[in-house]
Amino acid sequence: MRTRKFILNKLIEITILFFIIMTVLFFLFRAAPGDPVTKMVDPTMTPEDIQLLISQMGLDQPAWKQYIIYIKNFFTGNLGHSFHYGEPVSNIILDRMPCTILLFTTSTLLAAFVGVVLGKIAAWKKGSWLDNFLSIGALFCHTLFIPWFALLVLWILAYKIGWFPLGGIISPELWIQDTSIFIKILDVLHHMFLPLLTLFIIHLGSYLLLMRSSMLGVIKEEYIITARAKGLSDRVIRNKHAARNAALPVITSVGLSLAFSINGGALTEQIFTWPGIGRELIFAVSNNDYPLAQACFLLITAVVLIANLVVDLLYAHMDPRIKY
Amino acid sequence: MVKAVNNISFSIDQGCSLGFVGESGCGKTTIGMTLMGLLPENASILKGDIIFNDKNLTRFNDEKWRAFRGKEISMIFQAAMNALNPVIRVDEQIAEVIQIHNPQMSNADVSNQVKKMFSLVEIPEDRLRDFPHQYSGGMKQRAIIAMALACAPKLIIADEPTTALDVIVQDQILKEIKKVQKALNTSVIFISHDIAVVADVCKDICVMYGGQIVEKGTREEVFKYPRHPYTRALLGSYLTLDSYDDITVPEIREAPDLITITRGCSFSTNCNCKSQKCQSQTPGWVNLSSTHQALCFEEVIHKEKND
Amino acid sequence: MKKMEKESKNKNHSIERFTKAWAIFIKNPMGKTALIILSVFMLMAIASFFVPFLGPVYHPMTGTDPNITYSTGPSLQHWLGTDFIGRDLFVQLLEGAKVAFIVGLSCAFISVVLGTAIGMISGYAGGIVDTVLMRVADIFMVLPSLVILLILASLWELSIWVIIFIIAIMRWPSVSRIIRSQTLSLKSRPFIEASKVAGASDLRIIFKHIMPNVLPLAFLYMTFRVTSAILVEAALSFLGFGDPGQVSWGMMLQWVWSSGHMFQAPYWLLPPGICISLLTLSFYMLGRAMDEVLDPRLRKEEEGA
Repeated sequence: MRTRKFILNKLIEITILFFIIMTVLFFLFRAAPGDPVTKMVDPTMTPEDIQLLISQMGLDQPAWKQYIIYIKNFFTGNLGHSFHYGEPVSNIILDRMPCTILLFTTSTLLAAFVGVVLGKIAAWKKGSWLDNFLSIGALFCHTLFIPWFALLVLWILAYKIGWFPLGGIISPELWIQDTSIFIKILDVLHHMFLPLLTLFIIHLGSYLLLMRSSMLGVIKEEYIITARAKGLSDRVIRNKHAARNAALPVITSVGLSLAFSINGGALTEQIFTWPGIGRELIFAVSNNDYPLAQACFLLITAVVLIANLVVDLLYAHMDPRIKY
Repeated sequence: MVKAVNNISFSIDQGCSLGFVGESGCGKTTIGMTLMGLLPENASILKGDIIFNDKNLTRFNDEKWRAFRGKEISMIFQAAMNALNPVIRVDEQIAEVIQIHNPQMSNADVSNQVKKMFSLVEIPEDRLRDFPHQYSGGMKQRAIIAMALACAPKLIIADEPTTALDVIVQDQILKEIKKVQKALNTSVIFISHDIAVVADVCKDICVMYGGQIVEKGTREEVFKYPRHPYTRALLGSYLTLDSYDDITVPEIREAPDLITITRGCSFSTNCNCKSQKCQSQTPGWVNLSSTHQALCFEEVIHKEKND
Repeated sequence: MKKMEKESKNKNHSIERFTKAWAIFIKNPMGKTALIILSVFMLMAIASFFVPFLGPVYHPMTGTDPNITYSTGPSLQHWLGTDFIGRDLFVQLLEGAKVAFIVGLSCAFISVVLGTAIGMISGYAGGIVDTVLMRVADIFMVLPSLVILLILASLWELSIWVIIFIIAIMRWPSVSRIIRSQTLSLKSRPFIEASKVAGASDLRIIFKHIMPNVLPLAFLYMTFRVTSAILVEAALSFLGFGDPGQVSWGMMLQWVWSSGHMFQAPYWLLPPGICISLLTLSFYMLGRAMDEVLDPRLRKEEEGA
């Protein structure tokens, strides 16, 4: 019962936050130079269509009425019409979302998992060559410039060695023919490998370093001495007693670094031409396709807020000291 | 190099209780940790043996220690600190020590043993599945006692188990320790800076200062007839409602310097004996009775006695 | 006389503390390496000021060699080679160093000033002010800076100082949290109580008593702000939304990518990326080494004598 209240509170919080962001965006949009109508409406459409669009979005109405229509439109799925694609924006978004979510979730989970395990080992063997190797490696990964690293990966593994495709999510030839679902999945994985590898390496560094310093703090705690006094083996102490406590701050950090991960995700999508929301946003901005850009931005924000909520819940679940 | 403890020699019989009293840094915790093989990385035993039931503990390797700890000798830690793992349920933490030393035991038997231990330390059964942060200070301490006793060890080392508890709870815990000691015929080494607490539980007492034992004897002897100047100062700083004696408390000027003093008595800088001998010669054991000894010079002791 | 004595004693004390801190810092291998790398980059940045004296051919933005109109590899006249319109790459690299330092340091400075001020006020005032400020901080922490910059770039043309300012605004929350908790622990100390009793105003207490004690921490976190500032600005330039009048490392990578030379010209692709990563790495190591100085618990245990 209390859990439900906790979740409800958090949901209300992020909804309010989202509204604030939408509102700020609305005002920025109106404050920016240029005519709002030309920004939102594709001039190459027929005059009737243009008029229809203008009335739909309320661009001929006073500002406050426009605002209400703006909010209403967003929540009913009417996100405007893309200049570039000539399609409703919602179609494009629905097409791109799954790709981003797939790449993003997989890379975060993998990086967090491996980072935690390696960080645990590095801390346990503090000062050894393994620890130094892992720590320095993690330091490098953490400060890499993502687009550059992605280009490097692309250059070496796709261009020079040719093991992996240069971009995209699928090889269209394979999908037109009558191929099994198994081959299709393999194809996607084949294309996903390089962007996944890039994101994985970039984020591995920070998780490793965080887990390592968390473990080093936990190892000094009294309950570790108690565990040794019980006669438990090293491995049990490390995994069951130390790591479980040390992993908690790492979970929080997943939440905090979500912003950073989204940035990195967008850049990676761009380099590897992975058809996700991040890439779409960059594309829309370069092409002055404002409706598309706005929708992508709002959706990314929504994803970030929801992901934060999930992380908060996960942490509350794992730390028995949190009363909810 | 710092000698955390020096010239330590004592023995304890099955079922008996021995207390170590002294201020912070006197080395009493080091003794406890040495007996468990839990000294930190940068510490080692320079010289000497520890004989436990015909086994020499100083020769133990890691594996032998692991089989030994928790089963033959176990430790009761200060519960106010984080001695219990905050993310694991209390009953699991007790079950753990039983399982590691009795791998062949069935889950049901382990569970029963846990319940038995909890009833021994008087924690209600419905609190078994709680997490440590849900326990009060006294309950946490009792859980730690249960954990130390779970495998019926021959010796328990209690390191400041009542220090952060309020007096009423302190009293309960001390009664608990005495009760379980009798029930299981375990030996107890009780470490504390509080001589009153030690005297409550232990038949014999060792007073420590600057890494050395400076006086040892039965509790009556040490309390009624303290002979080492430090012991007298320690007892003198306790005011009781019914004290008839006027014991002057000397001004303790400096903490013992464990690094530079190698000759002379380590207490000489603070002692009011004002003897030149004390600063240049190392004192030896003075036998005051068959069970009572003090690390001092005869003349000084007699002078104190007559003051 | 006594007051002067006390003041000079305080001064000596600060100098003593500084030399002590320096001794610890310099022993740390991370600190040493960081300083070495940073000095190299500083030299590069300073060198970029002298480049115009070499002649118009060497201007990073407009200096096209009349003899070369395409990308070439390293040569004697052009140490790293030229880009796709014949501009010297090494000169661009030097210019990039200057931009990176300016962007990184000013961003960090602004966000630390903001973060410290807000953190101190929030921690000291407590109550509703504290709650509101920290909620605002939470909001800023959650949002991805690059995405925000992108949507803003779609509405306005962003100059380098606007970019710096916006990045700084996105980055102050992490500083403010730390400063706030430090302020909270200082708030209950006796000397603050004493000042209050003596009648000092709140502002005076904050600036005269709390600020000096939180400043070292603020400076420490400044180094970490620099790393993210450099990376975000480079990413923005890389995507083509940076200030078009500035040559930065991110911009160089933009050109190598958009002109299709990324696989053919390693001499062009590699240096800017290596520079960005190395500079970021060295600031990060600097921060970690300083961390050890400020927090004695992190220091490596002294060897037993």
